[in-house]
Amino acid sequence: MRALCWEGVGKLAVRDVPEPTIRSGGDILVKVRASSVCGSDLHLINGYLPAMREGDILGHEFMGEVVETGPDVRRISVGDRVVVGSVVACGSCWYCRTEQFSLCDNSNPQPVFTEKLWGHSPAGILGYSHAAGGYSGSHAEYIRVPFGDVGAFTVPDGVPDDSVVFASDAMPTGWMAADFCNLKGGEVVAVWGAGGVGQMAARSAQILGAERVVVIDRLPERLATASQRLGVETINYAETDVLEALREMTAGRGPDACIEAVGMESHDVGPAYAYDKAKQTVRAQTDRPTSVRQAIMAARKGGTVSIVGVYGGLVDKFPLGAAMNKALVLRMGQMHAQRYIPMLLDRVAAGEIDPGYLATHPMSLEQGARGYEIFEKKEDGCLRTVLHPQAA
Amino acid sequence: MPSNATRWALAGAAAVTALGVTRTVARRRHRHQPDREDGWYVVRRGITVDRPVDAVIGFWTDRERLDRGLAEWATLEQLDANRWRCVAADPAGGGTEWRAEITVDGPGRLSWRVTDGPVAQPARVELVTAPQDRGTEIRAELRWRSGPIRRAVGLAGGTDPDLGLRTALRRIKSLIETGHVLDTRHDPSGRSPRQERATDKVREKLMVGGRP
Ligand SMILES: NC(=O)c1ccc[n+]([C@@H]2O[C@H](COP(=O)([O-])OP(=O)(O)OC[C@H]3O[C@@H](n4cnc5c(N)ncnc54)[C@H](O)[C@@H]3O)[C@@H](O)[C@H]2O)c1
Ligand SMILES: [Zn+2]
Ligand SMILES: [Zn+2]
Repeated sequence: MRALCWEGVGKLAVRDVPEPTIRSGGDILVKVRASSVCGSDLHLINGYLPAMREGDILGHEFMGEVVETGPDVRRISVGDRVVVGSVVACGSCWYCRTEQFSLCDNSNPQPVFTEKLWGHSPAGILGYSHAAGGYSGSHAEYIRVPFGDVGAFTVPDGVPDDSVVFASDAMPTGWMAADFCNLKGGEVVAVWGAGGVGQMAARSAQILGAERVVVIDRLPERLATASQRLGVETINYAETDVLEALREMTAGRGPDACIEAVGMESHDVGPAYAYDKAKQTVRAQTDRPTSVRQAIMAARKGGTVSIVGVYGGLVDKFPLGAAMNKALVLRMGQMHAQRYIPMLLDRVAAGEIDPGYLATHPMSLEQGARGYEIFEKKEDGCLRTVLHPQAA
Repeated sequence: MPSNATRWALAGAAAVTALGVTRTVARRRHRHQPDREDGWYVVRRGITVDRPVDAVIGFWTDRERLDRGLAEWATLEQLDANRWRCVAADPAGGGTEWRAEITVDGPGRLSWRVTDGPVAQPARVELVTAPQDRGTEIRAELRWRSGPIRRAVGLAGGTDPDLGLRTALRRIKSLIETGHVLDTRHDPSGRSPRQERATDKVREKLMVGGRP
């Protein structure tokens, strides 16, 4: 079959690879119909998240049709149209039992690296390097999904592939970000990053009761889309002093909750950015935490900072003093896909969330490398490139 | 329906076998010297399984799972009320056989002694109820000889019983909780056979062991 493979830092190519087979009783094989790019892939492609190997198949946000099931699969059948959570979870360890699926004990068969790096190993993630289990990704004609009964969900008829695909990752991540904020109604929520994740976080915060949502980015097209589609307020950080603007908008209080949906390749204007970038380039720090710093400085006293942008290692100049003295609540993590997907599919079917507009660039697998380039450089108003491996 | 003690002895047989499996893949050198007691190197490792103690023991009576996980590799013969003889083949091949004597010391307490095999290792396993509804703590202790004997049984060459034990515990936990031990070694990739071999070495490093 054909698959989009990582060939070294910044290099992608379509290769002929063997088809996956059922390896374990709970496995299912999915014929991939739509497979999206995600901001996390950029961290992997660019070598900021470790343990990629030449030839690894990328892709973890996808949907498709079930073509084979292992002997232990009960809930999912051949022919089902399913969306699959990016995070692999066994469904039967303590973490899964308590719905903390991205912390599953049994889904990373190669846990040593992350145990050393982080003390413990979280769940495996499909198409997300050998640190996250070494699973093949979804930018391929077929993919093996372990624990299919836990990770795959049949999707409502009538919701197009290129819309429901985001129930795999961007939507549950955005929802979890808003869920972390513990909203009671009437809050002001600021969201850093107007990518797929940030936009879904903004929509989720609205649904969960936020009265005002402010989205921060530097890309005018993305900010315009957010304001048109979601009716949020926006700040362009390249033109405006973000902290000043947020203080002003809240009459001095600061946002009740700050969601960070940017991640380790955060960009900034000014000298601190050059400093961070230089340190990251020589790996004196692994991550650039610009937006996290800003979120902590912006949050009101006693507010919440919710981090879903991905970080891998160490950061510099973390404003711990601000977080401590303002008594902030810090929440963060990889999303618990399986906990949110069924609820999100209901909301999509009911028209409450319509993520379809994120799929700005549908493409064939062959165009994959170009698709990532457009996505990385945010050319042509790109929010997400969605690959269609079955298309010629 | 085997008695409780037999079930428990089966768990021991599985552990003996699992250690056999991992012995062949654990090639990394230790970071720290293990503790020494009375001329033995000793490691103690634990893992928490999200099932009550009875279920952890009872797991081994599930014929189907046992067959899948164990039966092709090990046989168990009862010697007397509390002692069994276990013959376990090394599933990694090479025709290696492990003979061990397994003794059920009490409810949730088990010990074994390898009587004939590449590594002489007395071991103990204990099951303790974990706090806060977290299931069962499996606590294991493994001993092996130092010095010439250790070299003779191949431990000096870098084989690390500590890593083997941790890997075995992790696999046993996964089997009890999920019925499977996942493996991504055969997932498709665009690698050449040579690149795949190099990646397999990386996988092996990332698979074996546990917390540092
Ligand atoms: N926690 C999870 O489970 C999870 C799941 C999916 C994605 N993610 C992460 O979420 C993050 C965003 O993903 P995405 O797919 O939306 O990526 P994306 O690249 O499409 O969007 C990131 C956006 O952040 C903006 N940005 C950069 N620096 C900024 C700054 N200093 N302030 C404000 N905005 C800034 C960029 O202009 C861009 O629009 C990534 O780090 C990704 O890895 C996490
Ligand atoms: Zn993602
Ligand atoms: Zn689990």
